[in-house]
Amino acid sequence: MNPYWAGFGLGLVLLSSFVIMGRGLGASGAFTTAVATAVHAVAPAHASNNAFYSEYLGDGTTSPLKDWLVFEVLGVFFGGFLSGALANRLKLTVEKGPRVSVLVRLALAAVGGALMGIGAKLALGCTSGQALTGGSLLNVGSWAFMMCVFGGAYSLAWFLRREWL
Amino acid sequence: MNAPFFKYGLFGDEASLIVAFLIGIGFGFFLERAGFGNARLLAAQFYLRDLRVLKVMFTAIITAMVGVYFLARIGFLDLTLVYLTPTFLVSQIVGGLILGAGFIIGGYCPGTSCVSAATGRIDGMVYLAGMIGGLVGFAEVYPRIAHLVKMTPLGQVTLSKEFNIPYGLLVFAVVLMALAAFVAAELAEKRFGGKEPDSGALLTPSRKLTPVRQLALLFAGLGLVAAFAGSPYRDAFAKVDTKQLALDAVNESNQVSATQLADWLIEGRNDYLLIDVRENTEFAQYHIPGAVNVPMATLSLDLARRNERIVFYSNSDLHAAQAWLLLRSLGFQSVSVLVGGLDQWKSCVLFPPVPPADAPPKDQIEFAKRAAIAKFFGGTVQGVQSIISPSAPALPKLTAPLPAVVPSDAPTAPTPKKKKEGC
Repeated sequence: MNPYWAGFGLGLVLLSSFVIMGRGLGASGAFTTAVATAVHAVAPAHASNNAFYSEYLGDGTTSPLKDWLVFEVLGVFFGGFLSGALANRLKLTVEKGPRVSVLVRLALAAVGGALMGIGAKLALGCTSGQALTGGSLLNVGSWAFMMCVFGGAYSLAWFLRREWL
Repeated sequence: MNAPFFKYGLFGDEASLIVAFLIGIGFGFFLERAGFGNARLLAAQFYLRDLRVLKVMFTAIITAMVGVYFLARIGFLDLTLVYLTPTFLVSQIVGGLILGAGFIIGGYCPGTSCVSAATGRIDGMVYLAGMIGGLVGFAEVYPRIAHLVKMTPLGQVTLSKEFNIPYGLLVFAVVLMALAAFVAAELAEKRFGGKEPDSGALLTPSRKLTPVRQLALLFAGLGLVAAFAGSPYRDAFAKVDTKQLALDAVNESNQVSATQLADWLIEGRNDYLLIDVRENTEFAQYHIPGAVNVPMATLSLDLARRNERIVFYSNSDLHAAQAWLLLRSLGFQSVSVLVGGLDQWKSCVLFPPVPPADAPPKDQIEFAKRAAIAKFFGGTVQGVQSIISPSAPALPKLTAPLPAVVPSDAPTAPTPKKKKEGC
């Protein structure tokens, strides 16, 4: 799809979230909730004593998974799957440049994911919650964040060219 | 109708989860359509070969930004009710840099990795697993680094407020910046990616006004209008629909009786804000437990969010009713008044009168409940003699409010039926 029209569609989804819910989109928060719930299930005392987990566990009256972001991210999986299926793009594969082995690519994916998890928690959001949502609301922190995401990625791109090109 | 719908109570928490799922589907669909399920396409952004990340992101941002501005400007959307993530500048700069590193190393961001995993990309699935690992690691060291997480708090602040630039002008500037970035991106793609602008590009060789160019022109035009159209926030100079207000004034749902309020307090309900509009000195002498003191003269727009449920009280009805009118005309949706004010509170809740000895059993049971409630709030039963010679009951000796959380051994009067008025 033409990137401008895809962006326009995405913008309308974001706008409807503002109008219907009074909040924007998100992604990383849902995984934090899931992680906190899982840790709580395995080691309840450990999770309750940790200020980070307990913030995502709620007051215990309802399941922490009955959360707006959790359901939104379930929708993202489903919507992505739907779009991929309709366009015949469902394929079990690894996306990588030709000069890197599958194993190295997967290792780097895991490292990148871990960094993303840490960065998103420091920044109180990721590309969805901060850059898209905060960007369109002219949020100060979101714009600073956005510039730094591009800055961080561009400054490391040269070192990782074998992974992608 | 007022937006955001959820915050004005158009639907509840359960329904909001369905909305979340539907919005998520739209989000995931367009991410996948944009090609963001593919890490190589995303990474191409950082080698200037295919800048679709920038194009998609900034088109989405200006679409939502312009939409929000105009919907708020015409008074449909209350911008103060749209959640703005608080700014912690240094944390967000550091977090952004780490996230950027994660983006180029891993090839995704959290949202795009969901789409990539959903379409079968193994690297996307591994990325998600890595992210979960990162979150667990972060959580485990969190107690030691908590002070790093929320550095340099600036509060919930927009660029417009921080730099004192009119919101509409900023909207126009961001639109122009985005359009310039799109042109620069297409030039870069031609130079570094060897991609000639196709018919869907702004720089396509044809002179025709293609749909994409129409979209760009539309945003430029709307941005220009925004630059001169003023602030999207509602201000203190309210426009009042007097007819609607008159209808609301006679509506009983704007009234809360003393017994009703007592029930709410005992139940520990916290979905409303109880505001005492008397002077500080009076408040210090006695106030209803859980009440907040906002003297009449200091009432303002910042009192609460417009969708919050507010109950006003004063000594009698007068000041509370004035406060009601003020806030309703400022667009607050759910404001009510404690009928009869503190006077009624005292005579109904704190010092309920003993019914005559020959009263029917129904009244006796009702009185037993009232006596328990009076005890709960530190009052006493008003003796029969005081009914015969109705002298004013002494002020309760209470000076400090009861804790907001009702202890579990509080009087267990069976939840009394809500009564609209009277004792």
